[in-house]
Amino acid sequence: MRIVFALGLLVVSLLSGSFGYAAEWGDLKLTFVYDGTAPVATSISVNKDPQYCGPFGLVDEQLVVNKENGGIANVIAYIYTRTGPKPAVHPDYAATANAKVVLDNKKCRFEPHVALLRTSQTLVLKNTDAVGHNTNYSTFSNPPQNILIPSSGQVEKKLTLAERLPAKVACNIHPWMTAWLVVQDTPYAAVSNKNGELVIKNLPVGKWTFQFWQESGGYVASVKQDGKATEWKRGRVEITIEPGMNDLGEIKYKP
Amino acid sequence: MSRYLSNSVSSRSFVGCVVLVLLVSSFVGCTTKAKFSENAVYILKQERDLNVEISPQQRRDIAEVLAGMFGTPDKPNVPKLGGIDIANVLDATQLHVASGPVSSDERGRARGLYREHCAHCHGVTGDGAGPTAAFLNPYPRDYRMGVFKFKSTPKAGKPTHEDLRDILANGIPGTAMPSFKVLPNNEIEALISYVRYLSIRGEVERELAYLTADLVEGERLLDVTGSREDRSEQAASIRETAARVVQKWVDAESQATPIEAPDPERDLVASIKHGRELFYGPIANCVKCHGDSALGDGQKTDYDDWTKELEPINEEALEQFLGLGNFVLPPRNIHPRNLRQGVYRGGRRPIDLYRRIHNGIDGTPMPATLVIGDDAAAGTKGLTKDDIWSLVDYVRNLPYESISLPPVIEQGYQRERL
Ligand code: HEC
Ligand code: HEC
Repeated sequence: MRIVFALGLLVVSLLSGSFGYAAEWGDLKLTFVYDGTAPVATSISVNKDPQYCGPFGLVDEQLVVNKENGGIANVIAYIYTRTGPKPAVHPDYAATANAKVVLDNKKCRFEPHVALLRTSQTLVLKNTDAVGHNTNYSTFSNPPQNILIPSSGQVEKKLTLAERLPAKVACNIHPWMTAWLVVQDTPYAAVSNKNGELVIKNLPVGKWTFQFWQESGGYVASVKQDGKATEWKRGRVEITIEPGMNDLGEIKYKP
Repeated sequence: MSRYLSNSVSSRSFVGCVVLVLLVSSFVGCTTKAKFSENAVYILKQERDLNVEISPQQRRDIAEVLAGMFGTPDKPNVPKLGGIDIANVLDATQLHVASGPVSSDERGRARGLYREHCAHCHGVTGDGAGPTAAFLNPYPRDYRMGVFKFKSTPKAGKPTHEDLRDILANGIPGTAMPSFKVLPNNEIEALISYVRYLSIRGEVERELAYLTADLVEGERLLDVTGSREDRSEQAASIRETAARVVQKWVDAESQATPIEAPDPERDLVASIKHGRELFYGPIANCVKCHGDSALGDGQKTDYDDWTKELEPINEEALEQFLGLGNFVLPPRNIHPRNLRQGVYRGGRRPIDLYRRIHNGIDGTPMPATLVIGDDAAAGTKGLTKDDIWSLVDYVRNLPYESISLPPVIEQGYQRERL
């Protein structure tokens, strides 16, 4: 049954040409900037393992805005292919197709705050802290997990289905700890850095739909591009990728 | 009482029914039109999470698709999903017996078992919000999330047929969930089928709401006005969604965590001592939630997964959820079990406790453990199966342990006192 289905897919994808290499590739870049005065990070009251976790100066990471340049970290973007063909995959991505993606419990927070995972990759949950943590992720398409991970403990998980939305990760022992798990069946996903810069590399040229999401606002729907208010319905926007760098410049956003 | 009725029986037909009862002074044959209620909480959750609006039309589409697949509380339907042996999970005859108003059918068979025995707590829709629910702690299970606590399968697995039998036979000690041991076997079977039915229906409803939240304006879940091709594609994708839910119930039957019995010759005193060290130590970490004296007071501000959907720590959100109607029960914190009482909700046999500790308790903060030689990565820390048996031995001994025993201090750092 599975095999028949897989074969069917193969035929379909051969027909639609997505297995062939696109002749040309382009990078997409956007810079998310907070629309307004940057809010200050609120510090967390550490009421669990205060001796160990207290000194790390933990702050709420729901909305991380750079004091210097207003850049918004942790905006998530991925190519949206619920309808329409799958994009061809640039050969550079083959090297990481089966890589391990680590989600660490480190200094009483999750590192990274947003983990990008492809369905072909393996998720590694680990704990490098001296205290115990549990990692509780609420995926929708893949079976959710809630595992007690001792200090120096480690476990690997396969998530074989794409998730429509970033899935929340929590630690019940330390209630302030949150992370997000992005599971996609293409490598075309990215998360913005501390300057708000988000880059998806080596996209096949052509018209693609991208979806944008941010923890405190859900779909990134109302933005300002070139000073003009723009509506990205359901956080989705169609972008034409041309060979080389496609820099959309500053996107002003306030969740 | 009125709240129960408005939840389950459309009020007009209820009035009609009362009139009928008054006239013929017999409840038998009085057909009230019971209705499934919408999962308004989950729809609002989608809207909030994604910053979108689900239109009245889209909500009607969900209700219609569900009615087409699953029928009504009086006339349940087993959907045809193709490629999947749904009859193994849902038996139409059993559903008939369990469903409907309390009565007997043409052939003299008892009907309405669910409404007779379960609905006042679990609600006609299985939303865990029957008329008595608000007075209970913990609240009755809302089956619609498809999550069950006390079962033999690992996290995210459905309960097996036997797990549900055990629950109905034994009830859940320490909660309002009663034992139904007195019911004849065929009635228990019918009720098991009906719990699965409500759970599958509820989970499919959630999936449909989830799909709907992703549609852009004008797009519909199942567009009766669309082209034939579009329609059959939409219908196929809905059936696929439902089949995935049903498949999880089929799979559960072979997913029970295998358990090797502990060495019966083991030194019990040494095992309890070892279990105690693990319980308070940094590998098992039980102390973090169950507390320094295992009184269940290590972590009292958390919520279960059903309650978390209401965003209980976000005042503005919570008010919005509670405003949906009084079928939304006010949030209560979930407390780790007080292990000094010796009351175990999922059963008191050592094998029951082994399952709880090995697999965790779904829908709650209680996590599964990492097992060496099983899922723990090679060369990293975890528990052995013998360690888990020692934890079972220790937990079983806890009610008899003196509360003034000095606490075990973890190596490396000092545990905070609460
Ligand atoms: C007096 C109220 C009450 C009645 C009547 C009742 N239940 Fe329950 N039931 C509960 C409560 C409360 C829980 C949740 C216990 C918990 O979370 O630990 C529960 C939980 C359950 C569960 C979930 C078990 C699990 O592992 O998660 C099932 C299944 C169930 N009930 C089935 C039934 C059926 C079938 C009937 C009727 C034959 C019924 N209940 C009648 C109160 C009730
Ligand atoms: C993150 C918090 C957390 C941790 C860590 C934790 N528990 Fe629990 N535990 C809970 C909660 C919450 C419940 C109650 C769940 C329910 O029934 O609703 C519970 C319930 C239990 C129960 C009761 C089962 C029953 O049938 O009534 C036992 C036994 C138990 N835990 C043992 C342990 C042991 C042993 C450990 C360490 C290996 C542990 N717990 C670690 C939160 C935790």
